[in-house]
Amino acid sequence: MNHNPVFPVFPVFPVFPVFPARPSSPHLFMTAQAPLLSPEHIAMIDKGVSAIVASRNAANRPSLMRAVGAGISADGTEITVYLSRSQSRQLLQDVAATGHVAVVFSEPLSHRTVQVKAKAAQLRAADDSDLPLLRRYLASMEREVACVGFDAVFVRAMLACRLEDTVAIRFAPSQAFDQTPGPRAGSALPAS
Amino acid sequence: MSAAPSLPAIRACFEGAIPAMMATCAEDGTPNVAYISQVYYVDERHVALSFQFFNKTRQNILVNPHGAVLVMDPVTAAFYRLQMRYLRTETEGPLFEGMKAQLAGIASYSGMAGVFRLLGSDVYEVETIERLEGECLPAPPRPGLLAGVRRAAERQAACGATDELLQAALAALNDHLDIRHAMVLMLDAAAQRLYTVASCGYATSGVGSEIEMGHGVIGMAARERTPVRISHMTNAAAYSHAVRCSLRESQPDLALETEIPFPGLAEPHSQLAVPILSTGRLLGVLFVESAQDMRFGFEDEDALVAIAGHLGAALNLLHTAAEPAAPEEPAESSAPSASGAPLAVRHYLANNSVFVGDSYLIKGVAGAILGKLLREHTRQGRSDFTNRELRLDPALRLPDLSDNLEARLVLLQRRLAENCTNIRIEKTGRGRFRLRLERPIALEEIPS
Repeated sequence: MNHNPVFPVFPVFPVFPVFPARPSSPHLFMTAQAPLLSPEHIAMIDKGVSAIVASRNAANRPSLMRAVGAGISADGTEITVYLSRSQSRQLLQDVAATGHVAVVFSEPLSHRTVQVKAKAAQLRAADDSDLPLLRRYLASMEREVACVGFDAVFVRAMLACRLEDTVAIRFAPSQAFDQTPGPRAGSALPAS
Repeated sequence: MSAAPSLPAIRACFEGAIPAMMATCAEDGTPNVAYISQVYYVDERHVALSFQFFNKTRQNILVNPHGAVLVMDPVTAAFYRLQMRYLRTETEGPLFEGMKAQLAGIASYSGMAGVFRLLGSDVYEVETIERLEGECLPAPPRPGLLAGVRRAAERQAACGATDELLQAALAALNDHLDIRHAMVLMLDAAAQRLYTVASCGYATSGVGSEIEMGHGVIGMAARERTPVRISHMTNAAAYSHAVRCSLRESQPDLALETEIPFPGLAEPHSQLAVPILSTGRLLGVLFVESAQDMRFGFEDEDALVAIAGHLGAALNLLHTAAEPAAPEEPAESSAPSASGAPLAVRHYLANNSVFVGDSYLIKGVAGAILGKLLREHTRQGRSDFTNRELRLDPALRLPDLSDNLEARLVLLQRRLAENCTNIRIEKTGRGRFRLRLERPIALEEIPS
């Protein structure tokens, strides 16, 4: 089972099943190597946009908190989100106990939104090596949130977190969903 | 640790400025997190969330009713986490209509009416509220809204005529509640439209402009008889815009409405429309707006509803008082002498539109009234009239008694004052008024 909270390495996550949709268009079939996230999604997450992290406890009670930072590997297979420990005790406990995580990324102005999920997330304390990423994220969020009418002072208060209180959650997304508001919200990625 | 905040104490978080987020969990233990369009304050223990699309959140709460919601104070940046339990979905009634109107108001401004619609109001019991640690910004001192409501009530109570009352209400908003842009619209029940009868804070008054029932923030407030408030116009518009792009791709044939031309601020960031009700009937809408984001909070809404209540009662009283007027024939005063070249006035009987020279003046009921006044003046030399005779004239085909004739006269008076100073209407007493002409009139009645 992948529910071991101290799973030492990223598992080879299950490949998203072949899409049954549009059987008449064989060229649209997804191959096993098809990346979950499009380059546009990866770029959006990499830029630094709103990120909300959720998990659940053994009784399936959900927990959530806004991330104070986020980063993604160039190929989109590894995502790290940062949380304030003092604001996220239950959530961190749930991630540690179940490995389950769901993160929604959203660009404030356009509301372009994508959700990723994983079952084997790992926790670690953030350290100095995370500082450049955290600073870059804050700077990006100041710009992004300014677009919808909030100043930098507000954004800095919203994302305030001391490094010693910051926890990193690293995971390999095994599922992704387009969640841009509208009737298509919730459709699984990669899109056919 | 400080005591857990109450739900009423965090109403500011439900203003929609910063979207709320909700985590749910599927039966198989997979968590889900999603943005929520609308968190609606129901009462001290309940909130309702908008159900617009059958998404994962919706599927999850039907099998596992527990949700965790993260909200944020849009001023102090304080986070609150709510643990809540899904109770039921309402698809009709005041809660549903209130949420639907708010959502439809958002949608109609961006041509999303009919698409971005509420399927149900999901009611949740809020089990716990947790205030999270964090760096909070100071909350600025709040203006004394109750004192403003008191002053508005005093000023309205002092008025003895409809026009004066409307001006007093708008002046009170300006002087005591710091509201710079406001309008009063009255209901034309027969036409199912609202017409602007008074305004303040605009380059042109917009008096006489009309809004369809159900159209935009004002039309929605009227149709659903509930306050409609948009606190963050750019955000609301952008939200709808995202859906439109997504829809356009998936349903290219779908015809979207054109944006509604609104006779107010070019780029309002905050709008609040409150129905004016009296004796259980809708009389019109009190509308305020601002170029500032989040200008009108729930407390402003409370204040405006109270002021609209006073306004409705006073409008009703003055309208009723003016109706049974004068059993005796009013004393005929000598018509003031009009001089100069005759003014060409055309009255199209088909829709009662009236043109002075080449300029459009008014149509509908107010146009019919002006046509009658000018006709009787031209044929019989009369200048003094009563509300009663207008009401009794079958040729005018006035709407029933519930229609506010006083408001129609105020509208006509204003249109004349703004567009044609050679023709004036002056109140001469309760239920009486006088037509004053600076120039002779050459009236042409164009049959339908």
